[in-house]
Amino acid sequence: MNILEFVPSCLLVVLLGVLIRRRALVTLPGFFAYAAFAVAADIARFLTHGNQRTYYPTYWITEAVYDLLGILVMYEVLRTVLGSLTRAWWARLIFPAVLVLGIGMSIVRANVVPSRLSGLEFYIAVGEIAVRFVQVFVFAGLVTLVPVVGLRWRQYPFGISTGFGLYATVMLLTTTKFSDFGTRFKLLWGWTSLVAYSVAVLIWIWFFSVPQKAETPNPELSAPSPGELEQYKDALRRMR
Amino acid sequence: MFSIIFTWLIVAWGALSCIYMLRCAWTRFPKRDVDADDVIPFLYPVDLSLAESLLDPAAEFGFRWKMGPLQFREAQRKRMRLYLEVTRRMAHNAKVLVQFADAEKNSCDPRRASLASILQERAIEVRLYSALTGIKLRFWLLLRADILNSMPALAHLRTAGEIDGLQTYGALKTAAAAAFMKLPPDELASLTRNL
Repeated sequence: MNILEFVPSCLLVVLLGVLIRRRALVTLPGFFAYAAFAVAADIARFLTHGNQRTYYPTYWITEAVYDLLGILVMYEVLRTVLGSLTRAWWARLIFPAVLVLGIGMSIVRANVVPSRLSGLEFYIAVGEIAVRFVQVFVFAGLVTLVPVVGLRWRQYPFGISTGFGLYATVMLLTTTKFSDFGTRFKLLWGWTSLVAYSVAVLIWIWFFSVPQKAETPNPELSAPSPGELEQYKDALRRMR
Repeated sequence: MFSIIFTWLIVAWGALSCIYMLRCAWTRFPKRDVDADDVIPFLYPVDLSLAESLLDPAAEFGFRWKMGPLQFREAQRKRMRLYLEVTRRMAHNAKVLVQFADAEKNSCDPRRASLASILQERAIEVRLYSALTGIKLRFWLLLRADILNSMPALAHLRTAGEIDGLQTYGALKTAAAAAFMKLPPDELASLTRNL
């Protein structure tokens, strides 16, 4: 094993530390679970690396969990961003629509590009491509939407989607284009994946390095004083 | 073939988004916080009674009844341009308030943070409404929808994407009044005038 292969794992440990410091378990539990699982999965893969019989199931089980957590994190990002965006009914349909589109694209792609995998592994690989599509859709959709609504980018959910979006774009490009390289594909895929994932983790660390207050309104807010209420009513009267 | 083209389009969209984010990171981070002094002078007055009259189906019917087809078409185009200007102002004011609310949400006072959250929600709804309505109006004006269609009715623009524009702008004004409650009376008066 090359020493450089440990770079993303080391960065993930740093990210987990930053997330604990920022109390992300409370504000973004899905992403915290993803980061914690990524560290645990890397340790499990490292421990079983020498043994083919244990490494193989460990790899595919962790890949399947990565797929599920990837979807969960995208749901969390959209819920956090869109939850405060609009009360319109169609806002609730955005995530299911993106999910269906991602799965559909992945299935169509699997039919066009034949795979050497079979059985459960094939479905996990299809799920992985679907998650990449969903991540790019969410990221690119937010990039398109945010300038329209005028929101600030330096927020945790946007940071999460940027990291995933960058990694997913590179991985989709890699799997689409690098297959042209034939036998050199595996090597290029491995290195590109390593670099892209390291950059994604660095983006997350950078976004979470700045504290951000939780946006949940406090239910135990003190009531405004009668004077304040009078002032408020007066302002409203002048507005109408 | 279709799936390959679609995949490439998605990859290109993702890559462009990455480039945009890089540009944002390079030029806009860190963005300064906006306080109350950066809000009131930057607001454009929005005449809601004018907007109401533009969206009134009875008024539109009256125009159609009184004018000839050519005259009505010309008048309707003018009304469209006017409503486009109203939505532009609404969008601008909402953007200023979104930025203010962004800064206020980090306040240590939970009540201020809560009011800022509500203000931001309403402002974002106004931005969405303005964006959708603006696209529709520009499309109508660009394609000269008056020639293709008998004439698009402005009253249909009251809601866009299930958001009632004027009602939401009214809610935004209420939320702004609540968020700026602590301002001195003269500044609060300026806010009420400008919004």
